[in-house]
Amino acid sequence: MSFMTYLSKRVVRMVLSLTAVSMITFTLLQLAPGNFADIQRISAGASQFGGAGTEDMVHAFASRYGEEIPAWRQYLIFMKGAVTWDFGPSYKYPAQDVQDIIAQGFPISATIAIIAVLLSLVIAIPVGVYAAVRQNSAADHGTMFLITLGTALPNYLTGVILVLVFTLTLGVLPSSGWDGPQHMVMPVLALVLGPTAVLARYVRSSMLETLREEYVVAALAKGGPRSTVITRHALRNSMIPIVTVLGPLLASLMTGTVFVEALFRIPGLGLYFAQAAASRDMPLLMGTALFFALILMTMNLIVDLVYGYLDPRIRAAGGVSRWRRSQKSPQRQPA
Amino acid sequence: MATITEEPAAATGVEADKARSHWARAWARFRANKLAFASLIFCALLIVTALAAPWIAPYHFSETDPDARLAPLLTDGHLLGTDLLGRDIFSRLIYGLRTALFVAFGAELASLVVAILIGLSAGYIGGRVDQGLMGITDVMYAFPSYLFAIVLVTVMGRSLWAVMLAIGISSWVTQARLVRAQVLTVKEREYVEAARSMGASGMTISIRYILPNAIGPLLVTTSFAIPAAIGAEAGLALLGLGVQPPTPSWGSMISEGTSYILAAPHLLFLPATLFALTLLAFTWVGDGIRDAFDTSGEDR
Repeated sequence: MSFMTYLSKRVVRMVLSLTAVSMITFTLLQLAPGNFADIQRISAGASQFGGAGTEDMVHAFASRYGEEIPAWRQYLIFMKGAVTWDFGPSYKYPAQDVQDIIAQGFPISATIAIIAVLLSLVIAIPVGVYAAVRQNSAADHGTMFLITLGTALPNYLTGVILVLVFTLTLGVLPSSGWDGPQHMVMPVLALVLGPTAVLARYVRSSMLETLREEYVVAALAKGGPRSTVITRHALRNSMIPIVTVLGPLLASLMTGTVFVEALFRIPGLGLYFAQAAASRDMPLLMGTALFFALILMTMNLIVDLVYGYLDPRIRAAGGVSRWRRSQKSPQRQPA
Repeated sequence: MATITEEPAAATGVEADKARSHWARAWARFRANKLAFASLIFCALLIVTALAAPWIAPYHFSETDPDARLAPLLTDGHLLGTDLLGRDIFSRLIYGLRTALFVAFGAELASLVVAILIGLSAGYIGGRVDQGLMGITDVMYAFPSYLFAIVLVTVMGRSLWAVMLAIGISSWVTQARLVRAQVLTVKEREYVEAARSMGASGMTISIRYILPNAIGPLLVTTSFAIPAAIGAEAGLALLGLGVQPPTPSWGSMISEGTSYILAAPHLLFLPATLFALTLLAFTWVGDGIRDAFDTSGEDR
């Protein structure tokens, strides 16, 4: 299978999946009790029809979707805009188009996610290698213990612990808000622990496997210095499986920042998504859901391509994702 | 030899290990893991506490004490203090535990049922059915599970059952894939073929011969999924999308706690600590189960 056929097949599948995601989200939202106007009225606590938000919303609704048009037409109108990256105005923030909200909120989520992933790579690789080289030593057991902590605690709980230490006890960092580097420290640290644990576990088990390979044994037997053999021969090959975890990890981080955003009151995209669901803001919810799904699928595609590039055996077997799925899922803990 | 029945018990090492069943060996390995065994006892205590919450908790979770608002630790009558409305924290922690475990176990049961049904049919029937069902799991895979749970809770409301179902429905994919993979490996084995040639129906083969082989791996993934579901429940509550107040959830307690962090830090500290301990205990049990079933050797 040539590269282009493979790529086009994957792109077609992505488009189909995105369509399915949009249909599921839209249908679910239609089934949800109450519409945007109801929710606004309830949360405004006003008995009279229409608060300030409702008037604007009816206006926005009328200009784009018309009044009293059936749900399936609303869906088509939305999707017609969506293919040209025009999701229309949000109900809740009628002055803003959804794509502008995405353009505003996503960089915030992405920034903390990317810093967290980079930082976790910087920490996880040496830690994993060290644990593997000293297998079954006290250092190895200690590392494995920390890894369990990292996989067991959700990022917002780590965030709470950080708040208790840095804000309450030491009083050095602000516990909420978003303007300046001091607001980034705790959210990033809260996000780092989980991916570090996953990556370190992978690096360690991958390294253990590579260290037993004949070429490593041969390199050592030839009298190569141990550190050179480990970094030049073993580490390089151990990195291949790591690539597969990295994509899903980054993707799940970008969507998983929502809890950290809620905890530290950061105006990221995840928070907009949660609010959109609660307030039945159809365009905003659909737009963000599609955007997140697109990110997730693109990450998976890139990882598959990179993996195929790094290890031609998999490319030849046709379809990386099938192979990858037969491996242990990245969320689960590899032995 | 007269004492032949006592022989296996007296034998040591490998022979005794072989004499026992797969499950007994797994249990023996689990017992030997001190951390996992201690965690199991702790988890059992948590479950009993959750079940007996109405008898253990000194107050009902929504009972307010207007004379004691934001009471500190060790207040008379309120061992762990009270929250802003004067509700007893100790009682709310216990009822929060009840919420967390009810949602987590219920959600995992629901997701197991879906996963087994879909995985078995996809793997055993194969062909079009397989392609169709795996197509569905592909779509689910593309939908970030937290976001899906958020949308589902919006649709179904914020009752305990809705939160439980939302978490269950958004987390079955990995397990369905696992069941399917197991079915595919077992399907062509001789004993399954033998059963088929003797006229056993597809249902019988699936349940009697294929499913038991998948139970070990399923148990491992489920034991890790339980703490994940506990985390998801609290996470939803943190976003204000969990169970409807005043039903307590550790997530909403944490969320409230962050607002009064300087005035009453125990509002944040207590639920976070109990939450972390619970998650760790369940994860260590999961680690123990995985190691007990993992016969591959010295790596771990």
